[in-house]
Amino acid sequence: MLEATELMVFYENMLALNNVSIKCDDGQIIGIFGSNSAGKSTLMYVLSGIILDIQRKEVMRGGERISVFGRIALDGQEITKFKPHLRAKAGIILCPERRRIFPESSVLENLKIGAYLSSKKDAKQNLEYVFHLFPRLTDCIKRQGGFLSGGEQQMLAIGRALMARPKVLLLDEPLLGLSPAYQKLVVDGVREIRDAKGISIIVTEQYARPVIPIIDYGYILENGSNMLAGSREELMDNPDVKSAYFGV
Amino acid sequence: MRRKERIDRGIKVRTEGIYAISSMREILYLLGPRLLLIVGLILLPFILQLAPYWARVVNIMCVYALVALSFDFLANYVGLVCLGGGFFVGVGGYLSAIFNTYLGIPFYLSIPLATVFGAFLCTLLFLPCLPLRGVYFAIVTLMYPLLLTRIIEAFDILGGTNGISGVDSFPNQYVEHYAIIVVLLLVLFGLRRFVNQDIGLVLRGVKDNDQSVRASGINVTHMKALAVFISAGIGCFGGAYLVHLYMWAGISLFALDFSIIPIAAVVIGGGGTLVGAVVGTFILVPLSEALRNLGTFRIVIYCVALTAFIVLKSEGIMVYLQRKYHQFERWVKV
Repeated sequence: MLEATELMVFYENMLALNNVSIKCDDGQIIGIFGSNSAGKSTLMYVLSGIILDIQRKEVMRGGERISVFGRIALDGQEITKFKPHLRAKAGIILCPERRRIFPESSVLENLKIGAYLSSKKDAKQNLEYVFHLFPRLTDCIKRQGGFLSGGEQQMLAIGRALMARPKVLLLDEPLLGLSPAYQKLVVDGVREIRDAKGISIIVTEQYARPVIPIIDYGYILENGSNMLAGSREELMDNPDVKSAYFGV
Repeated sequence: MRRKERIDRGIKVRTEGIYAISSMREILYLLGPRLLLIVGLILLPFILQLAPYWARVVNIMCVYALVALSFDFLANYVGLVCLGGGFFVGVGGYLSAIFNTYLGIPFYLSIPLATVFGAFLCTLLFLPCLPLRGVYFAIVTLMYPLLLTRIIEAFDILGGTNGISGVDSFPNQYVEHYAIIVVLLLVLFGLRRFVNQDIGLVLRGVKDNDQSVRASGINVTHMKALAVFISAGIGCFGGAYLVHLYMWAGISLFALDFSIIPIAAVVIGGGGTLVGAVVGTFILVPLSEALRNLGTFRIVIYCVALTAFIVLKSEGIMVYLQRKYHQFERWVKV
């Protein structure tokens, strides 16, 4: 169970996250919806610990000062101060926005890089599972990551995250720039990951409609604050949410 | 819970628009740091008249500062990491020596001529490697000075290993000092202005994303060549000046020092600030001179200092100072 309480993030003097608390129970799919600049990506950076890395780089560059407050706990263990690699070891794996796959490595190599932390046997099993989940990837196993189409890249990115045996999988805008058909493939894949492996998944998205059918619980972020939270039905019935995030 | 907040000083915000300046204090706030540098540099030869050896170090320091400026400009505004500082200095130096000794052109013409022709020659020679980026460009440009040294050695042209001697010196000490100091200041403030012009913005675009620049209908190679021309010109002037200072041109002009020390200076001073390159050389070159009587051990001290600097304060002196000058910090409750 991943629990983040009272997260606050400042980029210099700009408040990016304001008192956001989210909770993700085992085996749940959590949706986080918000427009641009709502703080979705920042939230993902904070949960995965990447923000600590960004923070350090900014200090070295003499750039913005990033302040992070709040507590994050995984299965009751406090991980707020954990560096990103320790969080990955603890089981929080981020599948970053815009995929960030390794463009000069082949599909297989990309997946193998993701499996760095797991044993050989696990890696083999996971590899089979990823190819079972996204059969399209089997067709381009030897192709360079950079030459895949957007949809294939997204599948690869999710696959790579899966190879690390996550307890909690963070998907940052997995549907970015995908056609409706590919969106469906990815969304179905996400649901299947949860059903088959019991992995908790946190998904961020701007447009809620494709994701809403698979989530158990959702949060609406607006300007860095948690405006609304509720189960799938509650969110779907809310007229404000409907107009802003469903486009009806 | 508390966090440290950084806020622009009121005076900085007020002086940002030129029309808002209304008091001596605000004028001083703007001009102070610039005047400190300009007046300090101009007075330096007078102060150092008591120590003639150090007065000469000032000249060499300014040459390094020019090369550092050209490196900073190319690396942080165009995205070409050029290790060919020694190449620029060498080409400029040899051209000036040739103009002066073989053709009998006086120094006040041979230096400018060497600057322009040198820049042209360097650009022409760099043209084939302009499509390269990052480490490839760096390696190729590092090869150029080595290549030219070996050619001069092997064919025994341009004086061979003995170099070209008998180059005119400057008529007096003041010309010697101010020829380089004035040019350094002009180049520094000129470059600062240039990088904020339209063309400078395009160059920065080339650094960030050359595909987008290409898509905007701008010839990237053309822009890069222009940047190399400017940068090479600066380096060539340094070389041409150096030849007249030493009254001799030799293959030591292509030395690796001219490629490496400017980079270290830019790192220490803060990349991308331009002033940082100058400040960095003003720290490094005197330091290395002061350590000279330690023999080869100075390299050790030099390296340790440099490493410590990069690890502990990698943002660079100027970035740090500018922040302290323009902003203040205070604790606020979250």
